[in-house]
Amino acid sequence: MSTDNEMLQVENLSKTYTSGSEEVHAVQEVSFNASAGEFLAIVGPSGSGKTTLIAMIGALLTPSRGSIQINNQRLEELSQKKRTHYRKKNVGYVFQANNLVPFLTAKENLLLISEIGGVKKKVARNRVDKLLEELGLSKRKNALATDLSGGERQRIAIGRALMNKPDLILVDEPTAALDSERGQQVVRSLIQEVKQRQVLGIMVTHDLAMAAQADRVLEMKDGFLV
Amino acid sequence: MLGLKELARRRLQFSLIILVVTLIAYLILMINGLGVGLNQLAGSTLWKLGGNAIAYAEEAELSIIRSELDNQALEALQGHSKITDIAPLGYLAVNIGGEAEGSDLRSAALLSIDINSTTGIKMPEIVAGRSLNTDAHEILASTEFLEDSGLSLGDEVLIQIRLAEWPFTIVGEVNAGMFFFQPTIFVNQLFWQALKYSENNKSTPIASVVLLSVENFEDLNIKGIDIVSKKEAFGNIEGVAGQQSTIAALRVFGYLIGSLVIGTFFYVLTLQKEAQLGVLKAIGASNTYLFFQVMTQTIFISLVGISISVPLAWATAQGLSQLPTRVPVAFEIETFITTSIVLLVMGIIGSLLSGNRIARVDPIIALGQQP
Repeated sequence: MSTDNEMLQVENLSKTYTSGSEEVHAVQEVSFNASAGEFLAIVGPSGSGKTTLIAMIGALLTPSRGSIQINNQRLEELSQKKRTHYRKKNVGYVFQANNLVPFLTAKENLLLISEIGGVKKKVARNRVDKLLEELGLSKRKNALATDLSGGERQRIAIGRALMNKPDLILVDEPTAALDSERGQQVVRSLIQEVKQRQVLGIMVTHDLAMAAQADRVLEMKDGFLV
Repeated sequence: MLGLKELARRRLQFSLIILVVTLIAYLILMINGLGVGLNQLAGSTLWKLGGNAIAYAEEAELSIIRSELDNQALEALQGHSKITDIAPLGYLAVNIGGEAEGSDLRSAALLSIDINSTTGIKMPEIVAGRSLNTDAHEILASTEFLEDSGLSLGDEVLIQIRLAEWPFTIVGEVNAGMFFFQPTIFVNQLFWQALKYSENNKSTPIASVVLLSVENFEDLNIKGIDIVSKKEAFGNIEGVAGQQSTIAALRVFGYLIGSLVIGTFFYVLTLQKEAQLGVLKAIGASNTYLFFQVMTQTIFISLVGISISVPLAWATAQGLSQLPTRVPVAFEIETFITTSIVLLVMGIIGSLLSGNRIARVDPIIALGQQP
């Protein structure tokens, strides 16, 4: 049931792990579509398969069955090398707290994305300055990641996710290490960035208050979308 | 550059690794220096003399001690079309004492030269004093002999052989080095014959071996004579083969240990950083990019370690040379260059372990999931 402006089409997606002699069905027959400029929240209890789902959409995992199509590109058909390239060029990740490179400054953590992506230094520096300005962290740009507060770290993580101008921003429990007020602030920032840049944002959370801010909420239970 | 930034920001951690690499590089340099020093003791004289080949009596099986060549052999060598020059060389191990009663006895390698020869083969270079006179009881002493014995030009010495003492005067200092682990002295050929055989007539051997200038070694067959290159001759000096293989084994183990230590350090660092590597892979860093960072760190650490160890080893050799007892550690530029390059290559090989580990890191760990 896809339309032309739909950027992401997930069809009958399943992921089955083998744990010893047992098969674990982490994601089962999940289908949904999403458009650029949309911010989705995926909620559900622990073990419901939400992180596995965004891992597949972000090309960190390959599905056991089904397909993921982003901008007319089928992810399950990509080689390992092309998946790395896809993540580098098309995906911005925001992980749970503390996933910045600890020995780099706030600015260097953002520049790292450009270094990995082979972006020219001058272009990258201009973009970093702009992003830091937008995130309200210009004054903290030379602080080491370890010297930043939890909220600052998470905002830098958002900046890092936006550095390569991705089509898709995947966010995994972004408020897990933050208090409620900071968490709300981070989610607001994310939504603002998604709308402003007309990209697709998908956030995994178990916090319903945070999820309520999204355009759409998808709920998962036992691997199924309910 | 991620790898270099990590080096700069984690100075203490990497300084300790550099310290270990420096000590390993220093150890390997000292082993190589010992190899060079021992080789110099074994036969630097051989290299300081001219010619590119040496002729032995066939039955001597490339032993200079057992080799004896007579006039007939010399004529056969001289007449060979591929041999352009010859210089007979006699060898004898002797004890030398000062003229004063009760003066210390010293060992020396006594070599003979034919001072009347017009050979084009380079003979020992005289750095002080003069050359030998034909019939006089005179010797040329190597710098090492004069330094070890404390004797000077003009001093009288007694060469002891077969319970007899032969008086000689030191008339010249030569840059001749060591032979058979003893400092070298030179006498005229006639005296060598007299010292070794107590006589000199037509049937007396006139040399132990003959230095040769050879155009090429192909078809160089002379009955009763073995001709080999100087390199092969050096390797056949009694004790040298065992010494060289011991040093070579130490050297190989040193390189292997160096490679393993560097490799293990970086492997442990890689293991510690797996979560971080997972995140970097998740955000698009390729295995090549990450391995390049490790490689940069390895090369930097190895270069710093080597740069510190080279002057340290050189200074140690200088210090050891001041000791009253000879410690055979010596360096040549080639030793430093070769050792540095091999250490660098071994470090890089060691870091391949980390490369393998990096390739196995699954980016899914960035999402807190098990691969």
